[in-house]
Amino acid sequence: MCSYGFLVISDKSVLTDLLDLNRETLVSNGPALSDGTDALDYAGFVDAAAGVAGALQRLGVQSGDRVGVHLHKTIHSFVAVHGALRAGAVMVPLDPFAPVEQLAAVITDADVAVLITDARAATFDQLVSLTGLTGAVVRSSAASDVIDVIRWDELPDIDRAPPLPVLPDDPAYIIYTSGSTGQPKGIVHTHRSALAYVRIAAAAYELRSDDRLANIAGLHFDQSTFELYVAPYVGCAVTVVPDAVLRFPASLSELVERERVTVWYSVPYVLRQLVSRGAIETRDLTSIRWILYGGESYPADELAGLMRALPGAKISNVYGPAEVNQCTRFDVNVPPVGDAPVPIGGAWAETELLVVDALDRPIVDGVGELLVATSTMMDRYWKRPDLTSAAIVERTFTGSFASRWYRTGDLVEADSRGDLVFLGRVDNQVKIRGQRVELEAIDLTIRQLESVAEVAAVVDTDESGERGVIAVVELQPDAELTLRELQRAVAERHPRVGVPVELVVVEALARTGTSKVDRNAALVQARASRFR
Amino acid sequence: MTTPPTSDQFATDLAAFIAAEVATVDDPIDRDTDLLLSGLVDSLGVVMVSDWIQDRLAIVIDPVDIVLENFQTVKAMTAYGVARGAVAAP
Repeated sequence: MCSYGFLVISDKSVLTDLLDLNRETLVSNGPALSDGTDALDYAGFVDAAAGVAGALQRLGVQSGDRVGVHLHKTIHSFVAVHGALRAGAVMVPLDPFAPVEQLAAVITDADVAVLITDARAATFDQLVSLTGLTGAVVRSSAASDVIDVIRWDELPDIDRAPPLPVLPDDPAYIIYTSGSTGQPKGIVHTHRSALAYVRIAAAAYELRSDDRLANIAGLHFDQSTFELYVAPYVGCAVTVVPDAVLRFPASLSELVERERVTVWYSVPYVLRQLVSRGAIETRDLTSIRWILYGGESYPADELAGLMRALPGAKISNVYGPAEVNQCTRFDVNVPPVGDAPVPIGGAWAETELLVVDALDRPIVDGVGELLVATSTMMDRYWKRPDLTSAAIVERTFTGSFASRWYRTGDLVEADSRGDLVFLGRVDNQVKIRGQRVELEAIDLTIRQLESVAEVAAVVDTDESGERGVIAVVELQPDAELTLRELQRAVAERHPRVGVPVELVVVEALARTGTSKVDRNAALVQARASRFR
Repeated sequence: MTTPPTSDQFATDLAAFIAAEVATVDDPIDRDTDLLLSGLVDSLGVVMVSDWIQDRLAIVIDPVDIVLENFQTVKAMTAYGVARGAVAAP
């Protein structure tokens, strides 16, 4: 039985329709959310989201205002997201593990009015004093005598709010990534682009109301769009994996077994941990029918190991920058041989791909930059017309009707079967555990340390296959720097994956002909020092 | 065979190790601090902590035992060491 499609996504649809028009059908469908501790059925989910929307309205939120969702992963994080949308707000997800400075920068850039947060009291106080927040819904012991606060446990007594009307081309959510200058960069998705993704993904992965998706990515990571919005569309259940469980592969495998998860989407890192340390030979994980991985490449030998460990699951490599959600897919039907990278595949529905040379001329053979035209594309970068016009190419190419293309910055090449293979970046962006890291932004932070004369952040793989940042540093005369000092400084401003795992001090960094630091040569210097 | 550390000694050493080598934030660590939700310990940190415990107590920790219940706090890890007979009962 194919049970998606009871909501027809039309030109007039918006994300709030998912938990509204569907309500009658969803209520009869049963389980919606669970996190191993708490659970909600769809009726409870809709009611709780309406309570959050009521609280936001009481705090003065109006249609189009930005509401930040800064919560650890539980069923309540899903309730908060849908509550914010129901209040007509533009939802801004924030990493619960991000340093305060970074959170404040995003809250200020997006002009977030009200925050839904489980921050501890000290962090909350700092956020209030560093930003222009006017209110908060608080799911912790934090309080304030400066701004209006509604406690999460007061929500049951709050008047339920109906969905506030919004238009399909209104912004629905803004996902932030770090820009190359260290300034956060907000990716604006509209209700239309989000629902295009919902419609395509539900069909592509043959989702049904009896599926159960595992939510592994945090709200601030675009992979979570899959569980957040596709699940209510098809009326299936989501197991929200709490952050603490994610640290323990053996706890994760236990939760997946108990909850009978059917569809899994994560970065390779989590799957590799699951296979190597998840005690999966003692678990029954046969309920998993489809594993989607993306965000970075999967080492070939380990991917073969995953296929042996979970022989009943179909495995797909999915690709797409957060600006377009997803745009290609490659089904891994046979174990990869040798070290050749697994392709990212070809375009999925409603999508056109083009490979161009440095002058934006389409090419058929050889390496070029990937351009994507798709219904799932972002609208713009928030308040950054300069970045938007650099990233979006408005033109037509012979043989194509599309006129608006996203410039991915990813270098690709078609293999002999026509599947695209990801080969690297045109800039200094790297991915670690699926998260974007801008090496130039890390450089900027390290260069501000008094002891540092010059620096090049590079990425290398250690003996266990983990990628990490290495800081190659030229010190000021007679200055000293420890790895711990360096790590603390970077951790104050950047996500954890950007924090260097190693410090290599060199006499002099290699320079290019134009006296710029040569990052490739710095990597060679780092390796020479490590294997000395 | 060496004498097992007292649970007090083990907990003190463990908290000091986490503060010095694992944590990226300068939060105080007491025996009941939730090391995971506070962000003090991430997934790489879990590996560092379990390696440290294996070295310190000269035991091998079965992957099935590396679960949330045994590692959420210094107290839980100490209790695990006691259950394994590698830390003296308090």
